[in-house]
Amino acid sequence: MSPSPHPELVVDDYPKKRPRWIELATSADHKDVGQILICGALGFLFIAAVELVLMRLQLLVPENTFLSPVGFNRMLSLYGATSIFFFALPLTLGLFYYVAPLQIGARGTALPRLGQIGAALWVAGATILYAGFLFTPSEAGVNPLAPLTELAFLSNNGVDAWAASTGLATLGFVLLAVNLLATLRMMRAPGLAWRRMPIFAWAATVSSWLLIVIGPVLLAALTMLLIDRNYDGIFFADGSGGSPLLWQHLSWIFFTGTYMLLLIFAFGAIAEILATFARKPLFNRTVTMASLAVIAVIGTLAWMQNMITAPIGIGWTYFAMLMSLALVVPFGLVIFNLIATIAGGTLRMRAPVLFAVGAIFAISIGLAAELEQSLVGAGWHLHNTTDATAATHFALIGGAVLGGFAALYYWFPKMTGRTMGELMARFSFWTIITGLILGFVPLFFAGADEGQVVDAYKYFSGTGVTAYNVIATIGVFILFVGLLLTILNAIFSRTNGAPAGHDPWGGDTLEWFALSPPEPHNFDVLPDVRSPHPLRDIREAIGHRTRRAEQAAARESQPVA
Amino acid sequence: MTPHSPGADQIDTLLWIGFVAAVILVVAVNAALFYAVRRFRSERGAAPRQLLSGRKLQFRVGAVLTIFAALLFILGVVFTDKAREAPSTGEAGLASAKTEPLKIKATGQQWLWRYDYPNGAFSYYKLVVPVDTAVELELLSTDVVHTWNVNDLAPKADAVPGKSHDIVFSTEDEGTYEGDSSTLSGQAYAAMRTAVEVVSPEEYENFVKTQQSEIEAAQERVVGLIENGEVP
Repeated sequence: MSPSPHPELVVDDYPKKRPRWIELATSADHKDVGQILICGALGFLFIAAVELVLMRLQLLVPENTFLSPVGFNRMLSLYGATSIFFFALPLTLGLFYYVAPLQIGARGTALPRLGQIGAALWVAGATILYAGFLFTPSEAGVNPLAPLTELAFLSNNGVDAWAASTGLATLGFVLLAVNLLATLRMMRAPGLAWRRMPIFAWAATVSSWLLIVIGPVLLAALTMLLIDRNYDGIFFADGSGGSPLLWQHLSWIFFTGTYMLLLIFAFGAIAEILATFARKPLFNRTVTMASLAVIAVIGTLAWMQNMITAPIGIGWTYFAMLMSLALVVPFGLVIFNLIATIAGGTLRMRAPVLFAVGAIFAISIGLAAELEQSLVGAGWHLHNTTDATAATHFALIGGAVLGGFAALYYWFPKMTGRTMGELMARFSFWTIITGLILGFVPLFFAGADEGQVVDAYKYFSGTGVTAYNVIATIGVFILFVGLLLTILNAIFSRTNGAPAGHDPWGGDTLEWFALSPPEPHNFDVLPDVRSPHPLRDIREAIGHRTRRAEQAAARESQPVA
Repeated sequence: MTPHSPGADQIDTLLWIGFVAAVILVVAVNAALFYAVRRFRSERGAAPRQLLSGRKLQFRVGAVLTIFAALLFILGVVFTDKAREAPSTGEAGLASAKTEPLKIKATGQQWLWRYDYPNGAFSYYKLVVPVDTAVELELLSTDVVHTWNVNDLAPKADAVPGKSHDIVFSTEDEGTYEGDSSTLSGQAYAAMRTAVEVVSPEEYENFVKTQQSEIEAAQERVVGLIENGEVP
């Protein structure tokens, strides 16, 4: 009997291998799109950090003239847009977009072109913001309050560029969120019920829902703003039917929701990391998952927290206070469950854990400070002081930078097949923590005790804030160095890191079942999912089988009596 | 902040309550976190204990947090309401403001504050009020959103164009209180400062009378110049 001939694969016109950058730019694969967002976000983190350092240099000494008032306002507006729309949100969404489909065992995404368009819109938004040689940047601040943004007060096209840029980016985020949600809803591996969702994929679900709700609110507000400025609209002009307060409501719904989204992302990543590295399941999955969803809803409902000095009626400010204080419960439960996940475990202190623990530290300080501000009377004093700046930066640097870096260190081996340098990670971590404390703790005192106002291009000597500002400037320099170390670490480790293998950390979820980096179709085969931690089940099954085989071998080798 | 009015006193108390609550939370979270990270390091051969929590423990933790939040909410409402209480004019205060508060308009404009007194006099930058007198400040804006902030005396409040926003305060301490604007309002925002000078009722009456007569004299002079054709 002659062996049967091999089946022959005949391909004519085999597609030529194109350069990597063309592949990346034209790919709709969630891993490529995710990488574009993550790399872009890290680049913009560097730019945002430079802008922050320049603003801090201006505030080094009283009545400094390093930056002009207009220059400072432009830097402030660029910093706000860059850090929120071009660093924090894309890093978050990029990681969700890369990791969450892998975690649920999907071989791709449900609406890949939608996500690709989303990323393209985001790139377009970033280009508009920084194509500054064509127009002047916005001067209206981080959340530019109407009617300062009206044509009568800022007639150059900076605000238009700001609105177009953040609008395109937000539209992109919404499209990415729609695709993520469709994927997470429809393409889970067999047996992967909602209750067995990896917690990071659950955070992606909650965040996507949140973005689909708050994204269009900002888009509506930006559309109104552009109509006001370019087509004689009166949405935000006072009198004749317009209302400046309308802008505040709409924009704060978005910004407050974004704040919550970044924390939900961070807690999702931290939960995965702590469970993996302590070799324990999450202390209570159901309560943690429910808490993340509750944070999204209640947190966004607290938007009027930002308007407690506005003429909106005392009842609304009490409502905002109620919502803010109610957040103590879900945030408290999440943090309790995270710490309890470490308890009894065997924690390996690798870079992701270090950053995850640092993130909880920073977020706890930020949220506690926000809690003080949510008490209406206290808020009347603290609102729009540097105390608020410090609180926001602690919470969001905790969430997006420390939490984002924790996720980056954790999933970097999956994306590149290489581990990021551990020593550099430690240097970076301690530098960031030192910088964060020196850079922002003094602002708590300057704001709460001396009432230094936020967003101001200068302060006056004799107001008792000079020492605080000098320390803060030094701290922000140190923070900058720390951020740079991790960015450089990522760049070098991409090509020179230690090879990682498919599962360097002993993870429990499906992404560690794929190759590192994963094949374009993610998985050849999938294990049956019978619990929230399918890979742990496999390891245990192999362990059982090995033990049984050893016992059988031992029995056989015994002499028969 | 050094409070110099009954309202600011309440705000100061609430700040301390919030500060203590914040410190309790930060210390509790980070002490537990630090302990857990120190205590449960991996050791050779040690197997992790697969602890899972039942519903009961979660309910208990949730209940403690709820009580904490509810307590803060009640304290927040109580002290905020106290801070909002309209003060009444005392013995040493302005006689004409005994029945209802002295009404002054504060108008924010890029980048200074203008104060209009009941008799038609006005002043820029500096607000003069009589001691121990209930003052009702009506905040208005002619252009963008400004925040009037003299935190030793009164809560911070926004002047939004097209809306009026009233705040009430009184103080028993004479002196000058520095203040500023705390919402980004354009180029010279940081320089848009203000001051409240608290004086005796007699000095206040003098001040507004002098302002009024000087303003009238100046206006008459300008009108005269225009009528004489010296100014187009």
